[in-house]
Amino acid sequence: MKKLLVLLVLLLAITSLVFAQGVKEAAPKADEPFKVGIIYISSPGDMGYSYMHDQGTKAAEAYFGNKIEVIRMENVPENDSAARAMEQMVDAGCKIIFANSYNYQDYMLQVAKENPEVYFEHCSGYLDNPNMSNYFGRMYQMRYLSGMIAAKMSPTGKLGYIGAFNTPEVVRGLNGFALGARAVNPKATITVVWTNTWYDPSLERQGAVALLNQGIDVIAQHQDTTEPAKAAVERGKYAIGYNADFRDIIKDDHVLVSTMWNWGNYMIPSIESAMNGTWKSQSYWGGLEDDMIHLSPISPLVPKDFQAKVMAKQDEIAQGKWDVFWGELKDNTGVIRQKAGEKMADAKMLTMDWFVEGVIGTVK
Amino acid sequence: MRLAVVKRDTKSKSMAVLIPLISFIVSLILGAIVLLASKSSPLQAYSAMLKGAFGNARRFQYTIVEAIPLLMCGLGVGIAFRLKFWNIGAEGQYVWGAIGITWVMQFWKFLPTFMLLPIGLVVGMLLGAAWAGIPGFLKAQWSVDETLTTLMLNYVAIGFAEYLYINAWKAPYGNMGTPEFPEEAWLTQVWGKVHSGLFIALALVVILWFLLYKTRWGFELNMIGKNPRAARYQGVSIKTNIVLAMLISGAICGLAGSMNTAAIAHRLTKGVDSGYGFTGIIIAWMAGLHPFASILVAIVIAALKTGAESLQIAMKLPESMGEVLQGLVLLPLLAGTIFIEHRLKIIKQEAQ
Amino acid sequence: MNQQTLLTPVVRMEHISKHFPGVLANDQVSLELYPGQVLALLGENGAGKSTLMNMLVGLYRPDSGSIYIRGELADIQSPQDSMALGIGMIHQEFMLVGNMTVAENIILGLRDLPFVPKLDEIKTKITELSQRYNLQVDPDAVIHDLSVGEQQRVEILKLVYRGAEILILDEPTAVLTPGESRDLNKIIKKMLNEGKSAIFITHKMDEVIEFSHKVQVLRRGKTVNICDTKEVTPRDLANMMVGRDILFSLDRCPFNPGGVKLKVEHVTVNNPLGSRPFLDDVSLEIHQGEILGIAGVAGNGQSQLTEVITGLLPCSAGKIYIDNKEMSHATPLQIIRAGVSHIPSDRGAMGTVGDMSVGENLSMKKYRTKEISQGGIIKRSFMRAFADKLIKTFVIKTPDQNTCVKFLSGGNIQKTVLAREIDSCGGLLIAVYPSRGLDVGATEAVRQNLISQRDKGNAILLVSEELEELQMVADKIAVMFEGRIMGIKDVKETNTEELGLLMAGTTTVRRDA
Repeated sequence: MKKLLVLLVLLLAITSLVFAQGVKEAAPKADEPFKVGIIYISSPGDMGYSYMHDQGTKAAEAYFGNKIEVIRMENVPENDSAARAMEQMVDAGCKIIFANSYNYQDYMLQVAKENPEVYFEHCSGYLDNPNMSNYFGRMYQMRYLSGMIAAKMSPTGKLGYIGAFNTPEVVRGLNGFALGARAVNPKATITVVWTNTWYDPSLERQGAVALLNQGIDVIAQHQDTTEPAKAAVERGKYAIGYNADFRDIIKDDHVLVSTMWNWGNYMIPSIESAMNGTWKSQSYWGGLEDDMIHLSPISPLVPKDFQAKVMAKQDEIAQGKWDVFWGELKDNTGVIRQKAGEKMADAKMLTMDWFVEGVIGTVK
Repeated sequence: MRLAVVKRDTKSKSMAVLIPLISFIVSLILGAIVLLASKSSPLQAYSAMLKGAFGNARRFQYTIVEAIPLLMCGLGVGIAFRLKFWNIGAEGQYVWGAIGITWVMQFWKFLPTFMLLPIGLVVGMLLGAAWAGIPGFLKAQWSVDETLTTLMLNYVAIGFAEYLYINAWKAPYGNMGTPEFPEEAWLTQVWGKVHSGLFIALALVVILWFLLYKTRWGFELNMIGKNPRAARYQGVSIKTNIVLAMLISGAICGLAGSMNTAAIAHRLTKGVDSGYGFTGIIIAWMAGLHPFASILVAIVIAALKTGAESLQIAMKLPESMGEVLQGLVLLPLLAGTIFIEHRLKIIKQEAQ
Repeated sequence: MNQQTLLTPVVRMEHISKHFPGVLANDQVSLELYPGQVLALLGENGAGKSTLMNMLVGLYRPDSGSIYIRGELADIQSPQDSMALGIGMIHQEFMLVGNMTVAENIILGLRDLPFVPKLDEIKTKITELSQRYNLQVDPDAVIHDLSVGEQQRVEILKLVYRGAEILILDEPTAVLTPGESRDLNKIIKKMLNEGKSAIFITHKMDEVIEFSHKVQVLRRGKTVNICDTKEVTPRDLANMMVGRDILFSLDRCPFNPGGVKLKVEHVTVNNPLGSRPFLDDVSLEIHQGEILGIAGVAGNGQSQLTEVITGLLPCSAGKIYIDNKEMSHATPLQIIRAGVSHIPSDRGAMGTVGDMSVGENLSMKKYRTKEISQGGIIKRSFMRAFADKLIKTFVIKTPDQNTCVKFLSGGNIQKTVLAREIDSCGGLLIAVYPSRGLDVGATEAVRQNLISQRDKGNAILLVSEELEELQMVADKIAVMFEGRIMGIKDVKETNTEELGLLMAGTTTVRRDA
């Protein structure tokens, strides 16, 4: 019993010591840098989605220098942990918080309502609040261009697409890719494989291998790792990269092109407006005009004249002369979804749950 | 000189308290070594963890919220463990609880809104029980090994839930997950983030303690767990009790799932399989299957989780470091349980 | 044979003490064993015999005292250490792996075995050894196909194979038929001629006289007497052991049977693994106020008979009636509710829950009754009072009723089972080897208890391997052989010879494996 008592006292002493340490650290300082919180669904080491976000964060760090301090949290699951992470960031003094995955949005809205003095930026969702914005980019435009290149280079016209989840974002991107492909080769087909995960190297690779075994010769992807592309390249087939420049990572020209993000271009102005108090809630959907999205350099395997054709299409989009979901659209069951001459509204794009003609697979 | 592990002649009650304490200190020291190796101050790191878990009312609330499903899953698997029935399927039973309440909320439109929550909880409980009953029945009837069946059924349940929230039950225009439950049918919050599920969990602790330690049924479970042949010879039906214990075990885990869904996500969505069922195994084990001890253990484990999260903010340590520290704390604690029944003995070698 | 030798003793234990919680198991015990000698270690249950020997083979370590082997101080930390010194022990419960062959069991755990053992060489050596000592065992036979006597021979072979010079036998004859005991005696004599020596733990006087040269009597952890076997009588030994005079005859009322309590009609129990059924068309009857003894060598269907009656084993054919009610397919609980008590043969694996307390174990039959619980809730105070009563009545030696049963000595565990079953008996008591492992005093008490149950009008089925016990206690004796009843005899009209022949299946002694 005595031993027990001694031990308890000891434990108490250690606890109080540890707490005391904490008190010291918590002392407030004057002229603190502006604190920015960033929450990633995966680790920036994934070389994919979170990596590109971190590139944006790094761009902001370089731009603001020691005027800001960035607090990162990685591998935050899409459950209560996300709310806890955001609150901890608020407690740590963050004035603006970014979170990069769709399912964070409920938790972010909840925390935003409770902390009106902090700004919240949610990537890829649709919820907002006076102190919460959502932002995203028109990646489907880039996917259209990459679809053109894929169809041009495919000897068989059989293209494959590894999709993470059947969310409107993925469906929209896939439809963009399919429309681009069929603009070049009207007989092209796009076969979909769902992995039901954003990030799982082995599942993603399995999906790609399954498609390659069916004789598909270009693999495009909406996934966070380079594995699908690697699987294709290893078999001497073509791949379309996403997020980062896969040709640079894999070092193989069979990666025809990569569709890329430039998140810094949104984050920097957002942080700046938060710092000088001009921040406003919005639903932002950036495109080519502000360089939120872009294509990587195209592989030399793609004929020069065709590269020029792709660039010309890109210019048309940038100048607002044309967009991907303009004109007549048929879904893959033959139903006409949009009549000729119509331009699809953003709201429809944001809830897209059907595939265009030429896609082999179902959304559900 | 050499060391040997010898079985204790008697079970020591003070050891049951002392050993976890010592193990805890050992784990703190181990953690400190790792932290020092990665050039961070252990004292600051531990302080950050402590503050992350208990630093203010809100943090404390989150730790409790995290502890509730852990406690319930610990209680649930604990009942099966008493029979030496290794139910490692709590995760799947939890997921079925979440599926059950979602089913009620989304499709039982004929119910008045105020009935959705209680009926949803009950349906979740029943589905969890049914899911646990399968391996229970297989074991009782044909001695099918339960570790395999319960483990594999987890993946079936998780996969099925995924199919539901991605495909079949997906909200019409939302992205991932089913539509949100009507707000009136959410589990109410009683203190900040802490929801009324806390009372259900605590009530369960008392009920289970009473059942296990005071009733004839508890006595029978104890007999089966410690010597099934003797129990059968005393007229206790092992088959019936295995199925019964698994039904209760699954019902509690299922209730944990339906309750947590009604309290936090308010929908079936990604993250429903967040490991409470698996961590429940650790809790049951460390608490020595005792319901009251489970409360403390669940809070400690929840605090480890919520505390480790704050390491990223306070110490700018990568997320993996938090996981390493959690593992380092658990390892000596679990290894320490062996010394409650065994002791170390120093054997002196005679001089030759 | 019994020459007093001037050689150094092969084993010398000096002032050995060993404490267990609440018990001083050995108190300054010294012991000497000379080459070519058999020392009998005699004592009541819990006298400390097994503890002393377990220290010699490295299962326990003495708190104080020293052990000399062949004159040299020995530090024995493990059974491997003791094996290296040439000491081997045969325990009451055999340490054999049931689904492995004799040869595999013999080499199991050998330290210097090559990764891939040369089984042919090993088998040759086993055959050679078994011929030398008359231990007929087939090295390729699988253990669970062997009789208990044969298994014991495997245990002996195991020790001889490993070069044991000092054999310790813990109640070796407890499981043997009289014939098998005589064989064992021959085997041991042969070994002694080669200079080996042996220590024999027992509480049977006859064996002491028959086997040993010297006898050392222990009582409550202390040595009471050491003497030459030639100079003592069984009665002297019994008195030394118990510390008082022992009655060798029992009081009983005249046989006055009532109605039929238990009726077994043409019952067959199939053996899913073997060719021969466990029970083959067994019929018997027990009346109220009658003790029916079942004689036979262990493994001839006795335990299956008791298990089929108590609902633990499914009945393949035939019918069982208790109080004229058919109970052929009743559950164990229904049988218990019908007032049947059962003292099983295996007290550790079936009779008790080792990790539960003495009090709880004593309550295991009555916890469903008002005596211990109320409306599904167990009343601890009732349980405590109930257990205290039984501990006192049956003289169970335990520090207190909260002690786990596994910490009690074998005899006291047996007493715990007896106390619970005899106390709860409601008409029919099935007792399997009830006095196994008990000392003279306790055995006497058990037998007296059985008789007083009978006198109260209860029916008793008593399974025993000791004909002497059956002749002393039972009214009728049924002999079992290979799952069949060879005959049911009135005790007064039969004799040991007739029963012995029936036990051996009338014609052949060895049964085919």
